[in-house]
Amino acid sequence: MEFTVQDKGHYTEVAANGRLNMVAAPKLRKVVDEVVNGGGKRIVVNLADTSFMDSSGLGALIGCLKLARQSGGDLRIAAVQPQVTMVLELTSMNRVLTPHATAGEAFGND
Amino acid sequence: MTVAPEIRRALVVEDDVDIRGLLVQILKREGFEVTEAATAREGLRLARAGADLITLDLNLPDGDGVEICREVRTFSDAYILMITARTDEIERLTGLETGADEYISKPFSPRELVARINSLFRRQSHQSAVDVANADERQRAAEVQQNLLPRDRLVLDDFELAGRFRPSRSVGGDFYDWYPTPDGLHFTVADAMGKGMGAALVAATVRAIMRSVASQPSLETAFATAARATEADLDHTSSFVTLFHGRLDAASGVVGYVDAGHGLALHVAADGTVTRLPSAGPPVGAWPDQVWPAATLRLEPGDSLAIVSDGLLDIYETVDQFTEAVAGVVSAAAGAEEACAVLLGLADVPEVADDVTVVILRHARG
Repeated sequence: MEFTVQDKGHYTEVAANGRLNMVAAPKLRKVVDEVVNGGGKRIVVNLADTSFMDSSGLGALIGCLKLARQSGGDLRIAAVQPQVTMVLELTSMNRVLTPHATAGEAFGND
Repeated sequence: MTVAPEIRRALVVEDDVDIRGLLVQILKREGFEVTEAATAREGLRLARAGADLITLDLNLPDGDGVEICREVRTFSDAYILMITARTDEIERLTGLETGADEYISKPFSPRELVARINSLFRRQSHQSAVDVANADERQRAAEVQQNLLPRDRLVLDDFELAGRFRPSRSVGGDFYDWYPTPDGLHFTVADAMGKGMGAALVAATVRAIMRSVASQPSLETAFATAARATEADLDHTSSFVTLFHGRLDAASGVVGYVDAGHGLALHVAADGTVTRLPSAGPPVGAWPDQVWPAATLRLEPGDSLAIVSDGLLDIYETVDQFTEAVAGVVSAAAGAEEACAVLLGLADVPEVADDVTVVILRHARG
């Protein structure tokens, strides 16, 4: 899985390309940790190219959200694909990690 | 742990008859059972027959030693000691991926040769002892985990209960549990985040915590108490666990349940219609300050409650397809045991990379 970080002005986009599983989970945590340490408050994880997420991947997203909130910021997810939507709905985690249609809309009105 | 002494087989591939004779003599004295070949062709044939050590001359009349070495590596784990005519060849060879384990140049002293060979086998015996110890430990862990599953068949007048668990590795993060109560039974299906040993440790902890609240009469209070204790344990590991916990009142057929982020419990009615029970909240440990409301359902005669872990979900495109498939199996099966076996069979494909667990509670037909 590859991660691309881009400063979009009023938020930082982390695009995740591939399968978010046990192998990729620690990498995502590391990438978001670096963004937070670099002062990034608003983070959008763009999941447009994430075809699959398992429980470890969900754990990483939750860990990243906690990290962002602890530093006074927030993390949102966007462009979620069907399998990832399914995992979020089954686990009721969509109540906490609410998917947004596009990365640009995630912090649209804030 | 001790390793039984085994006969070590050596193969000498060398075209020079004098050097070949010397090598054979040295290796026999070291306790090897020795075969010999004067050509690459014969050497490959004998290597296929099996060897623990191969001494390979780099310059054979019918082939390049490097090519032969690579060929041997495609089918053999034997230690390969390559013998070269000049010292400076060794430097060139070590830069190539020859597959050889050690190099020695002619002329060599018997003592030097023996020292190189002994060093190879010391490396091997140390590594294999570590491998055996690790495999042994994994095997024990798997046995312990299997023994934490309920072994006793619960016999209730009108209900049949069956469960199966298959970890994707030696051990896994799934578990199921059940035990009898004065009114019926309690049962749990859980899936700890991740796979392997770490997930299995979390699973064993959660099992013990869920059992510790069995005597609490209120299902919601019992679950909340267990969830708080579990959260405290999971906090430092950034892990979570999905849980389905149910309590059957056998007289009425009513099952009270709490679903924390599991979402894959199906009520399959006697007529085949199926309802998936949505989860009441996130997995335990995933997010702070959650409450999980309890819900109830009545199992009429012929109805089943099937709780499946997400491992089986991997072979279906959507949850609806999964739901229909599981309901079909449960309806067609003669009983809960058979349905569990068929569902585990469906999961026996390469696409399923996760642990798989199935528990089925069935109300026998009147």
